[in-house]
Order: sequence, then structure tokens, then C-alpha cells
Amino acid sequence: MITRWLDNITEKSVRQGARKTSRRGFLQGVSTLLVGAVAYPLLPVFRQGAFASESVALQEEGDPNKCSYWRHCAIDGYLCGCCGGSSTSCPPGTVVSDITWIGTCTNPTDGRDYIISYNDCCGKGGCGNCPCQRDARDTPIYRPQNSNNLNWCTGSQADTPYHCSLSVVIGVRE
Amino acid sequence: MLYRFMVFLCLLLVSPVFATEQVKVDYMLNCQGCHLPDGSGFPARNVPKINDEVGKFLHVEGGRDYLIQVSGSAQSDLSSERLARLINWMLVTFSANELPSDFQPYSVNEVHQLRQTPLINVNEVREGLIKKIQELELES
Repeated sequence: MITRWLDNITEKSVRQGARKTSRRGFLQGVSTLLVGAVAYPLLPVFRQGAFASESVALQEEGDPNKCSYWRHCAIDGYLCGCCGGSSTSCPPGTVVSDITWIGTCTNPTDGRDYIISYNDCCGKGGCGNCPCQRDARDTPIYRPQNSNNLNWCTGSQADTPYHCSLSVVIGVRE
Repeated sequence: MLYRFMVFLCLLLVSPVFATEQVKVDYMLNCQGCHLPDGSGFPARNVPKINDEVGKFLHVEGGRDYLIQVSGSAQSDLSSERLARLINWMLVTFSANELPSDFQPYSVNEVHQLRQTPLINVNEVREGLIKKIQELELES
């Protein structure tokens, strides 16, 4: 009963597929994709990266779980990569704080300045692994928007307990 | 058609590292951390929402001054030139629909003058302005 029903469904969809598509159509689609993929980055359009998104084209070196990693140039906290997460994602059981501080670091691989979002991961006690404090362009606390010496968890939906910090690339300076 | 749209979407998702224009960088480094990329802020923790809101301040007396005198603006480490450009950009980007019809962008000089007297009692001033905005909205 069920197999017959499955047979019917499969036959119907395959026949429908055969009627509606052609081999040339498939080739056309693939070609469009290939040409489009090459041409798209050349279009003169301002592209804004979504929050906490990573770009696949970023050239870089180094170990994200080491304090010397270039993106950590202004971090102050435990590296989430050593706490069950990664340098761009929170460990299980914690929530990312959207409210955060944002700085810039120079990527030694291509020499460009990248904008880095140092979101905290919150909701569990301090992780304790890989403590890292580097203060490039960090400002005193009376300029909170550029200070890394704050518990950003207190200002977020995630609430107070601080667990670890991320280093997410969100843009690049011209 | 749908297929092409899907292809376009996929391409959007894999677009490479983009160069960010200066005014946007200034927003990212000085405002975005709290007001968030879309300007939605976090009102539950007293981070004001900017999008669809900030332009309303230009309709009431004192509102134009407030946007520059508020500590995040006046006491940022931006030059007055960059601050003026940033605030004008934010008004147009996040709150174009709320701008007055005779909206005049801030001049560098105006910003420079205003930020010499930053607000001490920010919350009080803000509440007063919001009250005026609400009264204005009730009237219309």
C-alpha cells in the first residue's frame, strides 16, 4: 500500500521533472551560476555584512585559540575557542550578548584593518581557560563604547554571568 | 524565475569581504556596539532604539541640540566633521520617514558648537523630549 503510493508519487514527480526541464536548461542554469558567481563581486554595490557573520574570502593565519591570534588584538577575557565554542560562536549553554564593544585589528596576512566585534558569551560562570588581555585602541571606561574592560553581559538579554569572549570580523576598513 | 532568485540569494551569502565606507566604520566603532547594526538598540536595558525613532527628535524644541549633546555623540572621539557626517547619515539611514519635510543636515560648525556643552542630566532631558514628541503625535 505504502510502497505503491511511494511509487506513484515518485513516478509523477519524475515525469513532471522531465516534462518541465531540459538538459540544455540545466546547462544554462549551471552556466548562469558560474558566470554570476564570477561577476557578482565585481558589481559596484555597497555590501554590508550581517551581524556576527564571517566572510569566506578572508585570508588569515594563526591559531584562534592563542592569545597572539591577530583578531584578539583588543580582547579582554577568556577565549571561547578554549571553552567549548570557537572564536566566532558561543559554547553550548551560553547566550551571545548582542550589546558589545567593537574595535579594529590589522590582519598581518593582507595588511588591512578589520572591524572586530568582541561579543561576550553569557549565562554561565567564567570559563577560566585561555585568559587573554590585549588592549589595542582600548579606551578608559568613561568612553564605554570603546572600552574592553566592561562586562558586556550586563547590558544584554543574556544577563550577568560572563563566560568567554568572541572575536568576530564584521567589516574591513578601506 | 524562482531558481534564478535562489541562485542570487546563494551568491549574496557567499559575497567576499567588503570594504566598508568611512561613515559606516564610524557607526560601527562608536555606536553599533550598543545601538546594534540595525539601530534597534536594547530598550529593556536603556539602550535607545534609533531606527524609526531618531528623526522624531527634530520635530520638537531642543531635540536637534539633544542629538549632538547626548554623551554618546558629544563625548565620542570623533572630530566634529566626522560626527556631523555620522549623525546626518544615521538620520537618513535609520529614520528617513520621521524626518521633518524641511530637514536641514547638521553643519560641522553647528555640531562643533553644540558639543561644547554636553548634557549632564541626559535621562531627564530625554524624557522631556519624548513627552513632547508624544504630545505632538497625539495632536496629529
